[in-house]
Amino acid sequence: MNDVMRMLAAWALIHETADEGWKASVGRGRELAPGELDQGPEAFVDGLAALVAEEKEKLKASLANPDHDSAGSREDLARQLEAMRFELAELRGSIESLQASVDAIAARSGN
Amino acid sequence: MSARGRAIAAVVLRRLIAAAWHTRCGLRRGQRRRQAVALQLRLACEELGPTFIKLGQLASVRPDVFAPETVFELERLRDRVPPVPIDAVRAILTAEFGASPDTVFASFDTQPIATASIAQVHAARLARPYRTVAGATLAAGSRVAVKVVRPGIEATIEADLAVAQRWARRLERVSRIARLRPGALLEEFRRALASEVDLRNEGRVADRFARDFADDPLIAVPRVVWRHTTRRVLTTEFADGWTLDKLDDAHRSGIDARRLAAHGAEVFMRQVLVHGRYHADLHPANLMVTTDGRICYLDFGITGRTTPAQRIAIAQVLAATVYGDAARALHYSRLLGLEVTEEQAPAVHDAVAALMREHLGRGERPDIRGFALGFLGMLADFRIAIPAGYGLLIKALVTVEGVAQAIYPDIDIVDSARPFATRLIAAQLARPERLQERVPAAVRAALAELLA
Repeated sequence: MNDVMRMLAAWALIHETADEGWKASVGRGRELAPGELDQGPEAFVDGLAALVAEEKEKLKASLANPDHDSAGSREDLARQLEAMRFELAELRGSIESLQASVDAIAARSGN
Repeated sequence: MSARGRAIAAVVLRRLIAAAWHTRCGLRRGQRRRQAVALQLRLACEELGPTFIKLGQLASVRPDVFAPETVFELERLRDRVPPVPIDAVRAILTAEFGASPDTVFASFDTQPIATASIAQVHAARLARPYRTVAGATLAAGSRVAVKVVRPGIEATIEADLAVAQRWARRLERVSRIARLRPGALLEEFRRALASEVDLRNEGRVADRFARDFADDPLIAVPRVVWRHTTRRVLTTEFADGWTLDKLDDAHRSGIDARRLAAHGAEVFMRQVLVHGRYHADLHPANLMVTTDGRICYLDFGITGRTTPAQRIAIAQVLAATVYGDAARALHYSRLLGLEVTEEQAPAVHDAVAALMREHLGRGERPDIRGFALGFLGMLADFRIAIPAGYGLLIKALVTVEGVAQAIYPDIDIVDSARPFATRLIAAQLARPERLQERVPAAVRAALAELLA
């Protein structure tokens, strides 16, 4: 998904100034709100355009960064780090809960 | 037969007689007969107490097994149980923490803020700061909600289930009831109940749910204080706000109800279609609007899961439904396990299209509940079995409509679903594996067209 989006985003970035139709579609996609859609195919294109626009902004940011080649992998690492932090915090929670039960049993047995 | 067994038998007998009276001994046909039986079933559950209230609530999320009228009647089951005396609550807390609640917490309210069949909730304040699994640390003195399992509830459930199992075994000999497999169903409910009385499970699900929506500023999930959580006690951050039946005050405080209702519907779709785990027990008591204008989810006792393949098919069914495409809805429903034979397909297609025109057509506000009832009824008429996950999902979607309408009565849920469904399908179609599947065929078709 990311590769395809990135390819489309690169294309959108290159054609940004030329393609007014595309820009209008992006605008509509970004403003998608309940009650504003009537037809399927147009809505699909607008939705896809908005997804590409999001990816394009990421691409712009990574191009603006001198170390842009590794931007994707840094993003992956950040995601992995966040997932591990969460698992660690979950584990800490479980241990704290077990500790509370152990303390209670110890208190009951007088240890 | 034990005293409890006799008491259960007496209630069941009385409700059976009432059902026979209201259905004119079964002479009433169709929907009215099923509604009358469902009403007596709900009243019986309420009379029989916590175990049966819980069994009824579990049955209400199984439209794949029970008639739609039963499912929607059991949804109205409410716990009307007297509060547990504060001394008994204190005794449980002392046993669970090895210290009295006055030592564990800075303060502990003696009056419960909510009572239910399995547990009751008291407000308290933290004695020490606590670093939660995610988000900022809760300061000392923060208000928390302490959910305490009712004393003896495990033994009550065990005893009631033993009686119910004996009845289920007898009922399995009746051919009309045997197809419901009451024994297996009861065993499944027993496992669900066992999981629910261990409050640590609910805490874990709440933490995961909070993480799934960490990027959404309009969603709140009370964080768990694990230091004060055990098998029989769950301590969470306190949610301040209005329950869905007291939203007039929220409206007066300037809450943007329309935006919240539409967002609530989208959040549900995100749960089902993106994260693959969803709150399957949404009723007004489990949802609040917070004072800072967020939707707060409570009580994660009953949740559902979807696999990645199911998510794709569900998204397609959803998109087809909101755009009124019966053929597409039917095609992807079959991928989700709805067994429609080739002979049945044209008639089922016409029935679905008619239901869509009747309930989801433009002009007036679409009626998801009416559509779902008609759809489930139609499947029953065609004797098409409903896969468990599919049934749960239909039920959950109906509930979401009800909840969204409780927040903002004029909401058009189908209209709210369109942008999300569209973007999701667009994202799914752009997946590399999907393109790899489709591009060669498209290229061949284009070449054939060019060379023709």
